[in-house]
Amino acid sequence: MVLTLIPNELSSSKHCYQKINIKKAALSRGSFFYVSIKKKYSFFLNIEYRTRNIDIQKVTLLPVLTQLRDNNRLERIWLLAKIDFKKRYYDNSLGIFWALINPLCRFVVYYFAFTYIFPQRIPNYALYLFSGLIIWFFFAQGTKKGIKLLKTKKYLIESIQFKHSDLFIASTISACYSFMFNFIAYFIVSLIYGVGVHPTILWLFVLFFTIVVLVLGISMLLATINIYLRDIEHLWDIVVLAGFWATPIIYPHEITMVKLPFLQYLNPVAGIIINIRETVLNGNAPYYHLLVYDLVYAGILFLIAKFVYNKFAHKAVEKL
Amino acid sequence: MVHRTNYRTTLYANFVLFEKSHNCNSDYIDYMKKNRNREIEQREVVIKLENINKTFSLKDKNTDTIREKVLGIFSKNKKRQLKALDNINLEVRKGEFLGIIGRNGSGKSTLLKVIIGAIRPDKGGIVTTNGRIMRMSLAMGFDPNLTARENVYLNATILGLTFKEITGKFDEIIDFAELHNFVDTQVKFFSRGMKSRLAFAVAVHAEADIFLMDEFFGGVGDAKFKEKSEQVFEESFIEGRTIIHVSHQFRTIRDHCNRVILMDKGSIIAMGRPNQVIPVYRKLLNLEKEVDLDMEEN
Repeated sequence: MVLTLIPNELSSSKHCYQKINIKKAALSRGSFFYVSIKKKYSFFLNIEYRTRNIDIQKVTLLPVLTQLRDNNRLERIWLLAKIDFKKRYYDNSLGIFWALINPLCRFVVYYFAFTYIFPQRIPNYALYLFSGLIIWFFFAQGTKKGIKLLKTKKYLIESIQFKHSDLFIASTISACYSFMFNFIAYFIVSLIYGVGVHPTILWLFVLFFTIVVLVLGISMLLATINIYLRDIEHLWDIVVLAGFWATPIIYPHEITMVKLPFLQYLNPVAGIIINIRETVLNGNAPYYHLLVYDLVYAGILFLIAKFVYNKFAHKAVEKL
Repeated sequence: MVHRTNYRTTLYANFVLFEKSHNCNSDYIDYMKKNRNREIEQREVVIKLENINKTFSLKDKNTDTIREKVLGIFSKNKKRQLKALDNINLEVRKGEFLGIIGRNGSGKSTLLKVIIGAIRPDKGGIVTTNGRIMRMSLAMGFDPNLTARENVYLNATILGLTFKEITGKFDEIIDFAELHNFVDTQVKFFSRGMKSRLAFAVAVHAEADIFLMDEFFGGVGDAKFKEKSEQVFEESFIEGRTIIHVSHQFRTIRDHCNRVILMDKGSIIAMGRPNQVIPVYRKLLNLEKEVDLDMEEN
């Protein structure tokens, strides 16, 4: 089957006109098709598959701009995330404030336990604890929600055709909303303690990106495993609990860095938390080896998850 | 002065309305209806199914937990292969109203799920679709914990509409569904009829190109809503909207379908005009008496 690729109005350069032979079988699913072209021109083109017009494919040089203009994908993800976030606090009288109250209460409990019962000798312990808690909270919440996602959104998958991976992006963004609330709370506490804003806070973008990729990868992987093994939900609860104590959240990070270095290589969240504290709280440069290691870890995990997801996730409707 | 202008405008408005309803469109519509079958044959194919097979492997025991998987190594679990769809080839053209009938468990719903992409067919099967598809069935497509407004936005945005377009059409959707007082009510408090009205309204106004109706009008909807939906069905051919209707309600199928498929045990055993296929179904059911098939369902 021969398809003619017609360029978008935005890009009128000549090399956009291409004729590509594609195996007929590849047409059966949008994603296959998408992948098969994308391999050839992945670096300079973004080719968009739309079921609406099978003959006309859009070839653009500015993917982000066109997405904003004529595809509602961003809007869709935004709405899915917004509704997801809102739904959790729907019937509660305090509503969205629970997003703030929950981590604050946790923080207070841990703070009293570890200043009065087991005193720690860490400067600015409150902020040290709080920053670790909100990152871990984001990680735990994001991955736990991802496990059940294919089941909770089955009603949409069964009734309308769309790219199902949008659901995962949306649920991660919804977890980001909660993180935002928590981070504002952290910021207020840090102002009370008199810790100013360091310019190294800009590293937060890189570090947060790493953990978002990590959460996205893990939730896709777990959701796919959940189709075949329903136990994974309880198993992951235990892993999250063990991970909480294996991560330097309430104790000084010298323990993992010096005594048990394998922990922070097994668990990338540890490295991220250490680096966020170094940059946001102490105003130092991050540990570059941890930064690079975590980024590579998250990237590889995401690619594996995507591969597994593409291969097995289509069984979701019949098995769940 | 005022009186006269008022009089004139109303007269003119009436005249335009009269002309619209009686002269201009109706001739065209009548012509199109008469030649519907011939017209459709010249239109483009919107759904193409080639070599569709689907085998479900059913296990007698549940093996989706770790404990069962470990124990399952020693005890052999019987696996049954169930062929839900057996070598299905089908072409549906734009504007067709295709009815699918068959006994329970003959693979009708599975076929719709394959078309929408929720279930992937076995190797070798090719599904090609062209257009925005929406599958409608009772009690699905909506999140019970969200309000009607949120559900409309969610469904329409997934169908591919932008927020601006949805906001423009929102009042029309609510008008059509007659849910003015329940816009911000959670869908879990809705009755079945209200839910199905809302789903249908979204599909019509969000301009889904292909409707897959999975026993959608099974005894719900009052006379007024039925009238509205009949109107939609009649216009659908002219507007190029394709409808696949899985139903046991033979009145709708007899009145609207231009083609009917009879499925049994996962394969298509008869295809043709409603008056050709419905007798075959009667024979399949082995009905001795001349039972009205519509009454059977209700």
